Amino acid sequence: MAANTSILRRPLAPTGIWAWMTTVDHKRIGILYGVTAFFFFMLGGMEALIMRAQLASAESTLVSAATFNALFTMHGTTMVFMVVMPSGAAFFNFLVPLMIGARDVAFPRLNAFSYWLFLFGAILMNFSFFMNAFPDMGWFGYAPLTSNEFSISNSTDYWVLGLLVMGIGTTAAGFNFVVTILNMRAPGMTLMRMPVFVWMTLIVAFLIIFAFPPLTIALTFLLFDRFFDTNFFVDIGAGSDPLLWQHLFWIFGHPEVYILILPAMGIVSDVLPTFTRKPLFGYTMVVFAGVVIGFLGFGVWVHHMFVTGLGPWANAAFAATTMAIAVPTGVKIFNWLATLYGGSIIFKTPMLFALGFLSMFMLGGLSGVMHAVTAVDSQQSDTYFIVAHFHYVLFGGAIFGLTSGIYYWFPKISGKMLSEPIGKLHFWLMFIGFNLTFMPMHILGVIGMPRRIYTYAEDMGFEPLNQIVSGGSLIIALAIVVFTFNIARSVRQGEPAGDNPWGAPTLEWSIPSPPHHYNFPVIPTVRSQYPLWDENANVVLPPALPAHNEPIMPDPSYWPIMLAFAITMVAGGLIIWQGHAIAGLTVISSMGLLGMRSIFGWVLEPMEDEAHVSAHH
Amino acid sequence: MARFLTFRTPILKVALMALLLAALSACGSPQSTFDPKSDVADSILTIYILVTVVASIVGFAVLVAMVWLLIKFRAKPGVAARQIHGNNKLEVAWTIAPILVLLVIGIPTMFWIEGSAREPAPDVLEVEAIGHQWWFEYHYPGLGPDGTDLITANELIVPVGRDVRVTLQSDDVIHSFWIPQLVGKTDMIPGRTNVLHTFNVYEVGTYYGQCAEFCGEAHALMRFRVHAKTTSDFNSWVAAHNAGPATPEPGTAAARGALAFASCSGCHAVSGTAAQGRIGPDLSLFGERTTLAAGVLENSDQNLRAWISDVRSFKPIPEGARFMPTFNAMLDETQIADISAYLRSLTAE
Repeated sequence: MAANTSILRRPLAPTGIWAWMTTVDHKRIGILYGVTAFFFFMLGGMEALIMRAQLASAESTLVSAATFNALFTMHGTTMVFMVVMPSGAAFFNFLVPLMIGARDVAFPRLNAFSYWLFLFGAILMNFSFFMNAFPDMGWFGYAPLTSNEFSISNSTDYWVLGLLVMGIGTTAAGFNFVVTILNMRAPGMTLMRMPVFVWMTLIVAFLIIFAFPPLTIALTFLLFDRFFDTNFFVDIGAGSDPLLWQHLFWIFGHPEVYILILPAMGIVSDVLPTFTRKPLFGYTMVVFAGVVIGFLGFGVWVHHMFVTGLGPWANAAFAATTMAIAVPTGVKIFNWLATLYGGSIIFKTPMLFALGFLSMFMLGGLSGVMHAVTAVDSQQSDTYFIVAHFHYVLFGGAIFGLTSGIYYWFPKISGKMLSEPIGKLHFWLMFIGFNLTFMPMHILGVIGMPRRIYTYAEDMGFEPLNQIVSGGSLIIALAIVVFTFNIARSVRQGEPAGDNPWGAPTLEWSIPSPPHHYNFPVIPTVRSQYPLWDENANVVLPPALPAHNEPIMPDPSYWPIMLAFAITMVAGGLIIWQGHAIAGLTVISSMGLLGMRSIFGWVLEPMEDEAHVSAHH
Repeated sequence: MARFLTFRTPILKVALMALLLAALSACGSPQSTFDPKSDVADSILTIYILVTVVASIVGFAVLVAMVWLLIKFRAKPGVAARQIHGNNKLEVAWTIAPILVLLVIGIPTMFWIEGSAREPAPDVLEVEAIGHQWWFEYHYPGLGPDGTDLITANELIVPVGRDVRVTLQSDDVIHSFWIPQLVGKTDMIPGRTNVLHTFNVYEVGTYYGQCAEFCGEAHALMRFRVHAKTTSDFNSWVAAHNAGPATPEPGTAAARGALAFASCSGCHAVSGTAAQGRIGPDLSLFGERTTLAAGVLENSDQNLRAWISDVRSFKPIPEGARFMPTFNAMLDETQIADISAYLRSLTAE
């Protein structure tokens, strides 16, 4: 057969480092996303702790202005692109095929490719630290602060190229999950029987497909401005416009907020029924509210720009759309509350985090409605009130929701339970620490503290509240230590979980923990929204299949990681090219060739290795 | 003054203010948005309080309902969960309810936007503010000698009881002009001219302002002051500004400083003298200012000398940025002291 296109032999061993680097198994890729996101969560958290140490006292000189500016830039970029998004991806990957009764995603190698681009893009951006060029222009990189004139080092180049590399992977993942969810559902798994988490994944995948292109365009314009002296954002006299960047960035940026929060909403919508022992109240409304949020999310971006002087008409229109988006959000919150009604509520750790999500996200939503009032926004914009607001949404909302998901599905992923007492300690430390950190920030905003300042004068009266905030951040840090200990402890000596430790209703709990690599011995037929609770629709699966009878799964492949590496190095080569033309061109051309080779290898590679196929037959 | 919709119900306003300010007053700040001193800041606060109260009521109600549900429906032995799938009437109700609540805040929002778009009074004072990394320049069109611009920097002087309309521009990156007690912020964007909401200051006093949009390394140190004066004080300030300084008595430090200042005049201007540099801040009537270095340092002889000697020990200026050089290598200590004496002698008296 002409199919043997590999230079290297295809790695077929089920364990070891090569198995992980070449894996195309959605569950392993999910775990890779999760572990990587957790690493960056620690990194972004440390950046935040250094900022809090600096701001704990007036006129502090702990870090320089340049360092502080780099810290808040990378804290924001890291938490958005390297923590919350990939955490969502970790859950999509691990859970979606299990929840819809599939054996993998639609394009397993593309899935691996997405992960490696995310990892390499994140490494490329953070590599700037070692080149003394840590990005320092703020996570939304407003022009013209990013132009060659005002950003002299390569810091902005690392930021742009890192985001572009990660963006390719994210966009690929968006398509992958749309196709997976629309095409790979088990018989009987109609759209309106899908778990809410799968619905939210579908919406997020569509949001990614439509929201990332504006970001890619903006970043490409900026790249061309910086590398090839084009004039999109730089020379005002020659017709460019710095506001163009803001429009493009926020047309991406606001849907991005829903890309970050919808997975957490999905998780909570599946956790609440399990721990109240009753179906989600108004499933249809919760699903459609999510769809409406997805659409409206594209029509509110100007509320990030109310003070840029777009005029009364633009401000009035976008104030109205921004208020409108509170309606579907409110519907979701009321439906979650109504799910509690009549329930038999069990306060396990996943439930505590889900309730933390519910209350904290609601407060973040309410302060968000306040920004829709343009008059109020003219005082709140770019102050600590905004910082407080989006941390209530993204930490109190997204992170609490995702943590609920970790406690809920860790038994399925690892086959072991997390400790309940340690989990509860983790919750209460995080809940108290979170509120101590972010509640006073509202007041700091009201009394006039702008965001992104590395220092403040003593007579401003900002110091006492900043001390509370910094103290609260230490409690969050402690909570994360407790969490890490809980995970580490369970990985070594956790109690066995069994198939369905929570008595949950959805399909992923019908199979062993951790699942076989082929997920389902036979593809189940689904007859209900809550198949494991519905006696008439009970899914009874046979035990593990004998080895000779296992379904044939796609074999591992080198090509996704090779192609991702080549793309990232081409981006890196562009930066080298800035300083050393020959060296840069050498890297770009050699890595371009490797990329071409990888594409051919990928396309011509059979799904299963010959050796593997013949072993089956 | 009734350009804006304001809720002139004293009981409501006083009660709510007392409630909300209880926590805030303990940490009084010169940049508090809850201590307005102009008509526009006042009208913003009115609507601010309205939305805060509405949001607080909704938030509190949901939290109470949640806690009640959690207690009432906690798992009890022998009590099974009721398998309720939904209720169309209820769900329609709580789709409509948020719409009604949003109307309560949405309608005043639209009225406020409409009010803010109206023309100012005919006697409006026009000011053009220009943002620079990291200081502010102000032009008063027509108020200078012979109908030219009166130009000053960092400390904005305005009359009380008269509409002030500030147009905003930027010389480099995006800045944002914000005087929390007087007016909400509006961005200064290169290539565009924005207009700050017209404001009318209630009381004579000094108000703090600060750049609110991240504008590079020294963003945190881009501050300013607004001095609101009575109309007659404002007019005398304009007159003194245009008259220029009296010639300092020969032999004094100020007189020597006036000569040494020639080396500064390439960048700085002092109205009524030969110094007409327009690269750095205008220093006319510098002795009247309360701060230097864009609201960062108190205007004292010691601070001024230290600032001239080495601006970089006060502001983090990145390499290559267009900013004042470090003078301790170019001028000796006596010259710096003389220049300081000269600048501080530039008063209205």
